[in-house]
Amino acid sequence: MIRKVLVANRGEIALRILRACDELGIGTIAVYSDADAGAPHVLAAGHAVRIGAPPPAESYLAGARIIEAARAAGADAIHPGYGFLAENAAFASACQEAGLIFIGPPPAAIAAMGSKISARRLMERAGVPVVPGETPADQSDASIEAAARRAGFPLLIKASAGGGGKGMRIVRGEAGLAAAISGARHEAKAAFGDDTLYVERLLTRPRHVEIQVFADAHGGAVHLFERDCSTQRRHQKVIEESPSPALTPGLRARMAGAAVAAARAVGYRNAGTVEFLLEGAGDDARFYFLEMNTRLQVEHPVTEAVAGVDLVHAQLRVAAGHELPWTQAGLHQRGHAIECRVYAEDPSTGFLPQAGRILLYRQPERPGIRVDAGVVEGSEVSVHYDPMIAKVIAHAETRDAAIDRLRAALSEFCILGLPTNIPFLLAVLDSPALRSGAVDTAYLDEEGSGLASLTPLPAAALAAAVAHVEAARANSADGQRLRHDPWTSLPGWRG
Amino acid sequence: MAATRRFIVRQGDSATPVEVLADGRVRVGAQGDEFAVTAVSPGEYIVACGLRTWRVAVAGPPEARWVGSPGATACVDVQPEGQARAPRTRAVHGALAAPMPGTVVDVAVGVGQQVRAGDVLLTLEAMKMELPIRAPRDGVVSAIRCAPGDLVQPGPPLVEIT
Repeated sequence: MIRKVLVANRGEIALRILRACDELGIGTIAVYSDADAGAPHVLAAGHAVRIGAPPPAESYLAGARIIEAARAAGADAIHPGYGFLAENAAFASACQEAGLIFIGPPPAAIAAMGSKISARRLMERAGVPVVPGETPADQSDASIEAAARRAGFPLLIKASAGGGGKGMRIVRGEAGLAAAISGARHEAKAAFGDDTLYVERLLTRPRHVEIQVFADAHGGAVHLFERDCSTQRRHQKVIEESPSPALTPGLRARMAGAAVAAARAVGYRNAGTVEFLLEGAGDDARFYFLEMNTRLQVEHPVTEAVAGVDLVHAQLRVAAGHELPWTQAGLHQRGHAIECRVYAEDPSTGFLPQAGRILLYRQPERPGIRVDAGVVEGSEVSVHYDPMIAKVIAHAETRDAAIDRLRAALSEFCILGLPTNIPFLLAVLDSPALRSGAVDTAYLDEEGSGLASLTPLPAAALAAAVAHVEAARANSADGQRLRHDPWTSLPGWRG
Repeated sequence: MAATRRFIVRQGDSATPVEVLADGRVRVGAQGDEFAVTAVSPGEYIVACGLRTWRVAVAGPPEARWVGSPGATACVDVQPEGQARAPRTRAVHGALAAPMPGTVVDVAVGVGQQVRAGDVLLTLEAMKMELPIRAPRDGVVSAIRCAPGDLVQPGPPLVEIT
């Protein structure tokens, strides 16, 4: 039985979980850093606890403080969301030791999958195919360089503890090797507090296809089909969809079978995702285990749309000891869903992340569109956290209709105050490669640079920009008007 | 509101003359179309020209005015005609300043060191990503105004090259 959940996260995912708790009649506690006092997730919770200064290490990564807050506020469970402490086995153990339910997998499963070395060994034993590579036991520069030469170029150097592209470097030859090792090591240390590095051969233009799995404590384990996340920029997912344009029913069945076997091999419980790289398409394609994300994913709404389920509700029920709410035979993919991530980043300056205040915010509303946002008008996008503003998910009967719907929704998504990647997302959705379902993980990095160009404003927009200036000037020139709603003066602007 | 008022709207390198006419209509471009602008809510306008209409959202101060209409968003500078352009608030790209607030994680050069255009001088970390600051041209490092661990803001140069 879970009566009160502390959500150890911020932004859109904290809101998503808090709302799911409300729907199930479960009490909620939010935690926040000083940068997030008054943030939407704080206002959405029944109770909110300040945990520290803005840097994540002093707040959202401060496991001991979060557990203390949970006990003080009377929580019986903690939901970690994604990122921060979600894949931290020590934190999951600490929750259990404090008598709190960790809404996620057992600490042993997190640890087994969190280390790429043990994950690979486990997968090989469970009969799941893996990409050639290794984590050198000796982590000296010389030893990692030797491992890199064994795997062969091009290769990836990654943080053994991490995901999401943090601490990851592509090395195409001997020349960039030393710099890549030191850069990856530093980013790994900063992002995960663990600088163990892993070296792996880089497959040629693979697709990224992942399988959502879910297991309970009663021996039940199901998959909820795939998500194709091949549209990536520098290993950051940009667009995710289901079904994958690359899968046939036979290939889907093989990959799903491997994913469920992977989950069973680590004694998995709750929601998880098994990521694969796919070379080729159709029944002859080969797939390799990439990693298992032992948490709820950013892109979980795609699965919720096509499978018609609520993964967070299921997480709460399974964590409370109930059986899975579905049987495998009862799960089906219905229609097509596609999601894109709206980031505060400037496509015209090399996608530099942007911080600042959102001056105006109007999100799209139309049938078949879901927006999961972590901000409201007036919110500050802080330098301390991820620059994701919102996710927009479209669901429709066919892939083409879902893309059209997403395109229309993004066009009317208005965010003023800082640059966003919306123009870039629109250009990607319009690209022939995406429309035809041919995008692989290298597409955006190799061919997407031309998509980042600036869309000029129509003349009508300049007219409104000037009228807005004039309205403000007219108001301030007339002192007494300031005491009224300034907009009462605007009928003067009717043409 | 009888007299015509003239403005210059700048976006990047382009400058467009915009006039507010005596009847409240707005003309964009020297001989351009005339638009009727109607406020529908704070910051939101319907702009009409003949039978065509556009929905436009506007926010922010004149020198950094954000304008959005379906599919296009930009930050423009709106000034009365004859007035100098407002100083740019954003750091010039390629300069030796932080492009955004961040933490210095590495200083790769020392004073007196010869650098070539494109060399990484220092590395910042912001929003969980590493951002290299590169030399915009060949030269010699004459001063370093930050150290690893410093929280830096956009604006002042972090390294000087002569």
